[in-house]
Amino acid sequence: MFAMLAQITWQQWRQHRLRTALTILGIALGVAVFFAVRTANVTLLSSLTTTIEKVAGKTTLQVTGGEAGFPEAIWDIARDTPGVKIAEPAIEVIAHTAFEDEGNLLIIGVDMVGDRELREYQFDEEHSEIGDPLIALAQPDSILIARPFAEKHALKEGDKLPLFTSQGKKEFTVRGIFQPKGMGEVFGGQIAVMDVFNAQFVFGRGKNFDRIDLLNEPGVTVAELQQRLRERLPAGIDVDRPASRGQGLENTISGLNIGMTVSSFIALLVGTFIIFNTFSIAVNQRWKEIGILRALGVERPNVQRMFLGEAVVMGLFGSACGIGLGFGLAVVVERVMSTIADQIFGLVSTRQPMVFNWKYAALSFVLGLVASLLAAWAPARAASMLNPAAALHNIETRQREAVLGRARLVLGVALVVTGLLLVRFSPLRAGLYVQFSYAILIILGMIALLPKLSEWTARALRPVMDRLFGSEGVLAVDAMIQSPRRTSTTVGALMIGLMFVFATGAYVQSYKQVVDRWMRQSINSDLFVTTTEGARSKTWHFNEALSEKIGAMPGVKRLENIRFTFVPYAQDSVAIIALEFDGWFARSTLEIEDADARTAQRLVTSGAGVIAARNFCTRYGLKVGDTIKLATPAEPFERPIVGIIEDYSSEKGTLFMERSLYKRYWNDAAIDIVDINLLPGVDRTAFKQQLTRAIKGEQRAFIYTQEEWRANIMKLLDGFFVMTYMQMLVAIFTAAVGIVNALVISTAERKRELGVLRALGGERRQIRKLILLEAVVIALIGLVMGVLAGMANTYFIVRTASAMIGGYIVPFIVPVKLILLSLPIILVIALAAAWWPARRTMQLKVIEAIGYE
Amino acid sequence: MIELRAVSRSYGDGKIVNALLEVNLNIPRGERVAVMGPSGSGKSTLLNMVCGLDDPSGGQVLVDGVDIAALSDDARTRLRREKIGMIFQTFNLLSTLTALENVALPLRLQSAPKREAEQQAREMLARVGLSDRSTHKPDQLSGGERQRIAIARALIFKPPILLADEPTGNLDSKTGEEILSLLDDLHREFNTTILLVTHNQEAAWHCDKILRLRDGRIVKEELVDAKAKAAARVEAY
Repeated sequence: MFAMLAQITWQQWRQHRLRTALTILGIALGVAVFFAVRTANVTLLSSLTTTIEKVAGKTTLQVTGGEAGFPEAIWDIARDTPGVKIAEPAIEVIAHTAFEDEGNLLIIGVDMVGDRELREYQFDEEHSEIGDPLIALAQPDSILIARPFAEKHALKEGDKLPLFTSQGKKEFTVRGIFQPKGMGEVFGGQIAVMDVFNAQFVFGRGKNFDRIDLLNEPGVTVAELQQRLRERLPAGIDVDRPASRGQGLENTISGLNIGMTVSSFIALLVGTFIIFNTFSIAVNQRWKEIGILRALGVERPNVQRMFLGEAVVMGLFGSACGIGLGFGLAVVVERVMSTIADQIFGLVSTRQPMVFNWKYAALSFVLGLVASLLAAWAPARAASMLNPAAALHNIETRQREAVLGRARLVLGVALVVTGLLLVRFSPLRAGLYVQFSYAILIILGMIALLPKLSEWTARALRPVMDRLFGSEGVLAVDAMIQSPRRTSTTVGALMIGLMFVFATGAYVQSYKQVVDRWMRQSINSDLFVTTTEGARSKTWHFNEALSEKIGAMPGVKRLENIRFTFVPYAQDSVAIIALEFDGWFARSTLEIEDADARTAQRLVTSGAGVIAARNFCTRYGLKVGDTIKLATPAEPFERPIVGIIEDYSSEKGTLFMERSLYKRYWNDAAIDIVDINLLPGVDRTAFKQQLTRAIKGEQRAFIYTQEEWRANIMKLLDGFFVMTYMQMLVAIFTAAVGIVNALVISTAERKRELGVLRALGGERRQIRKLILLEAVVIALIGLVMGVLAGMANTYFIVRTASAMIGGYIVPFIVPVKLILLSLPIILVIALAAAWWPARRTMQLKVIEAIGYE
Repeated sequence: MIELRAVSRSYGDGKIVNALLEVNLNIPRGERVAVMGPSGSGKSTLLNMVCGLDDPSGGQVLVDGVDIAALSDDARTRLRREKIGMIFQTFNLLSTLTALENVALPLRLQSAPKREAEQQAREMLARVGLSDRSTHKPDQLSGGERQRIAIARALIFKPPILLADEPTGNLDSKTGEEILSLLDDLHREFNTTILLVTHNQEAAWHCDKILRLRDGRIVKEELVDAKAKAAARVEAY
């Protein structure tokens, strides 16, 4: 019997090739996005880890101490620890050449005496005129470069390499060129090596190192040595294997990952809707066939198995295609992610080939299969429960599908309301999965309400469509009302896609609004001099000499030197903004909350306390008066929170402290941003030009006016949200596939109705208009449902997801502009999706259609 | 009104099946013609030729003097909606529309204003005795009522030609007779040319002429006399 049922299924697929292809595409898209996100994530982590490991060479353990590094004394402790064979300090800087293209160059500062035992340098010239290139590095202007970089700039031994340093533009002499192997492969070969102490000086690191690379004695295990070092080294200094440092970077981009994981599930959900839709309609279309099979003695379970078997085969095909498609899509996703990792988080990666992770492939495959089975379950069951006698009647004698029972309506309302109440009143510490379950409750509730809400909306649209488009408009709306099973699932797919678009769009808009307001209150100096076009550079900083030079220029009223770095805090990290508060309080209009402003200003300016960002306090449940304890390279840092401000500098949370206090504890005089406040009457643009001329060719710096800097931050924010925008597109595209699917099915199912219309005098163009209008109706109802579901989920995102990911609670807004903008876009997509089914319908043979059952 | 000149229709590439073979026919305005014959004799093909849903393989089909096969699809559709009303065995009402909307549909497809179309539809519904069913959907109506709606829909634009494909095929005999009587009344009122395909001899007696088809040819053409019609009515009662 199985073979016979398989044969019937095969014939159905052959007959409805397009429907079958669209269903498989629906599954494939869902699986593709899911797999692409994971593949991109794994590849990015591999790129980050590879960079660390290749640079690490034979290193078995690395000592690190936050971005600011740690004092040289730590090196002494590490070296003197029993079991340490080699301990070599290192500094890493992404510097820029003074060549025309200002290409970036990863510079590793190493101690040449012992470094060859850790890293193998394969030099091109074995008998270099200058002898051992590593020894030659001891000369202060020496640098070794990788061959790809040398070839790009036509450099050879003895040539001069101009670099921008914290000391200004300096020329270095190429003392050796190493092959693009091991460390030479890192960063696309844009890598150079110089003496660590020289690097300390030219890149303004004072007496700090970024890390110490260690090799254990043969008789001591890595774990034992790690333990010994942890016991000896002060708090705030980490000892890890190079690989686990790479894995640790995952935390840095965790916010990005959570967002993408959620949206990949959205894509899968949309795909599930498409499958459900297809199977529901397939059951409806094959009503008579099922009746005949039942009448011929096929048992109910076998009918159900036939449909579930189809779902399994489609799931297998769709998932396999999805994994292939996802692997291709991952290239784009990874590119965007690595740009964000670089520009927003300042992470250095070495582009790696896409990593095909079998575990994630299997997971994606299983998810696709499970989604197919779940989606087909209800239709398959409906098919098996069919009354054979009723099924043998022709289509016209069928009763209109029951839309919804009151129970389902009540259940839907209850789920949505419960979800919203939980979002409103549940504490944030309930945990990630518990919190996300509220959103799932809301979505499930909306799905339960969907057919009824669609029907109500369609009924409301009927007179409008009648007035605007005549009988074709009425028939288009009626198709929605009459067949909720067919249309509401398509509307559901569209609803989920648009819900995602509107909810994330509302969040992005709301977030941008608060960031804009915050910038106007706190980022209001006249000019800003920064080390990078991105948010910040982890490795490249200014020194105080630049600031002094700018301060001496006529027209400057006041300067503020700002250090923006991250330090470890509570198994994660926290941003520290060290600044000169006198200047900041003079211009900022940000309100200090939860404390007397004057007292807070006095305490923080004197170094007696810190000001915390609201999101930091939300994340960790802290309030004014609580003590912040941080491990520093010098001594433990303990200061009370003396005030709280609204701040959007980092989703990890930010602590603001007086710069002199930071310098004392972290032994770090580096500067990331110089805020310039001009005397009254001095023109910003003119001063910017003057400053550009003054430092041109001397210092690599980016100078922005207040407006430009704000615009740049907004641009960076957009860069951060690029993934979100891409996911919006995928969601809409998947929904568009759903529309095509629904219309192909709809036209096939209504073949006779359309044939009758033609027989009664309906012209081909009228039939085309009818199909296009049906797409318009689906789009309009999908839009209405998407707005409703989107608003409910916006509430979840602004209150819960945002607080969990970034500690921010941003105001709830309705993205009116986005909704209005999406209306024509959705209509165009719907019309484009409907174009082919409409054309196909125009070819309808009336005689066959009228006889169709 | 309807003229077929040596019309043939064959199907298939290899083994040719002749659904119609050299059929000649002339039906003047106002005449009612029943087409009878066994299954596969070509009755439905003949009907499809007249309404322009199918093209002849040979010969000419003239409707009101116009060679229908020479028209484009759109022109043929326009001719159909202006001159030909159709009723079917399975009624073919649109299940989503009310009785009123179904009846008004042909006018609305001709872009008639909604109010005007519905006013005429109400009048037609009254004419077929279903004023009180105007807001009902097809699945809320009996078979006879559905066919009355279908007749109202076919005649709303007062077409000179009415094509009926087994109009009583899905109805019991009493309801079938009511429908045929209604067609008689409407014929008297509108002087419509009726081409009726049927298996039912009683239904055929309501016409002026009966054509018997076999294997695609008209094998017999007989006039129905007044006595036969009267007998048909008596038998029906």
